[in-house]
Amino acid sequence: MYVYLYDNFLREKKYDAIIKAMETRLTDFGIAGKIIRLQNFTDAQAIVEDEIKRGATTVVIVGDDETFGHVLSRAATCEVLFGFLPVGSDNSIADVLGIPVGVEACNTLSRRRKVKLDVGWFNNRYFVSRLHIPPSKITVEYDEKFQVSAQDKMELIVCNLRPYEWLSVGKKETYTIHPQDGKLEAFLRPISREGWLRRQVFEEPSVFPFEEMIVSSKSPFVVEADGKQSKEIKIKIKLARKRIEMVVGKERRF
Amino acid sequence: MFKTYPQQAVDVERVRVVSDDVDTVVGPSVKVEGDFASEGNIVVKGTVTGSVKTSKMLTVENGAKIFANVRAENAVVSGAIKGNVKVVERLELTETAQISGDIDCKILSVAPGALILGKVVMKGISLPDDSERSEKKKLFGKIKSEDADELTAE
Repeated sequence: MYVYLYDNFLREKKYDAIIKAMETRLTDFGIAGKIIRLQNFTDAQAIVEDEIKRGATTVVIVGDDETFGHVLSRAATCEVLFGFLPVGSDNSIADVLGIPVGVEACNTLSRRRKVKLDVGWFNNRYFVSRLHIPPSKITVEYDEKFQVSAQDKMELIVCNLRPYEWLSVGKKETYTIHPQDGKLEAFLRPISREGWLRRQVFEEPSVFPFEEMIVSSKSPFVVEADGKQSKEIKIKIKLARKRIEMVVGKERRF
Repeated sequence: MFKTYPQQAVDVERVRVVSDDVDTVVGPSVKVEGDFASEGNIVVKGTVTGSVKTSKMLTVENGAKIFANVRAENAVVSGAIKGNVKVVERLELTETAQISGDIDCKILSVAPGALILGKVVMKGISLPDDSERSEKKKLFGKIKSEDADELTAE
């Protein structure tokens, strides 16, 4: 039995046509199912667990990257097959998973090509796409073997599925990440100086693939993971291997 | 009208992308302390203290400093290393390289301007050593005296 979790933004009129087309296609394939609309403060884990008890075998997330991260960061502990129907403009994860945006995603879903995905874990929470720590005075310890530090503040981004684009002055740099290679990738950018109008000038980033990392600081620092922010003094980031079973496309990047 | 696809889930076994392909990069003002090891290529632009180990390529850029023993499959050094360097295959020192420590490698390439302070050990050398030569001299001397004895006897 299929259950579809629709994000709140899909209520907008501009998405009516595409949602209707997708629902028609799903009905034609014989994989239409129950539709549940997510609200801002909905607990996705509780909903998924309830539906599993009622006999759901596949839970399909309908939305964008934010919806994907919001649902899976909480529902990663649930033992069920997940699917994804990307709708809207902010959909970079779909590209990594090989799922086309729009109605064609229904074809991918019907093929049920299953893969178990690695996800990141920190402080009792999972993150699927990436974790971001804005410039702070942090020390990073990798795999209990070596420590990395800088003279001033450092920005840290840990990527799992979603690549990050560094916006430096004049040019946009994209670093290639390797999803599902058994390691998470950490990008560290120290601040070299504060330029005109207090604009931060960053140095060239360092790249460290790792399985386990501890980030600590003397003062609390902001941590943002899959859209959710928190303040911490010390966090442990680990890779959870093959945690989520997902329907993916043929054109996936791993 | 619409193609029907089999409802049975298809398990796709994919070969994992080997983590050997991922480069580890130590940025210019970053300091690494401890046993720094990687299964893939390492590029050092900053400072590393402790030990550095990789089973692939190590690149030490100009301005980088390593205060550690280094072990790699291949290496290209343009910065400074204070420690022993053990490279399985090829070690290349560019004109800005400075190594203060022993070097152990199979192939060594040193550009003009590179500085080395230490012992260089390379396997595969086939020159005989002093003890072998003195043994050969003694044997040659013995053969000569035996010939002389035969001549006098005749």
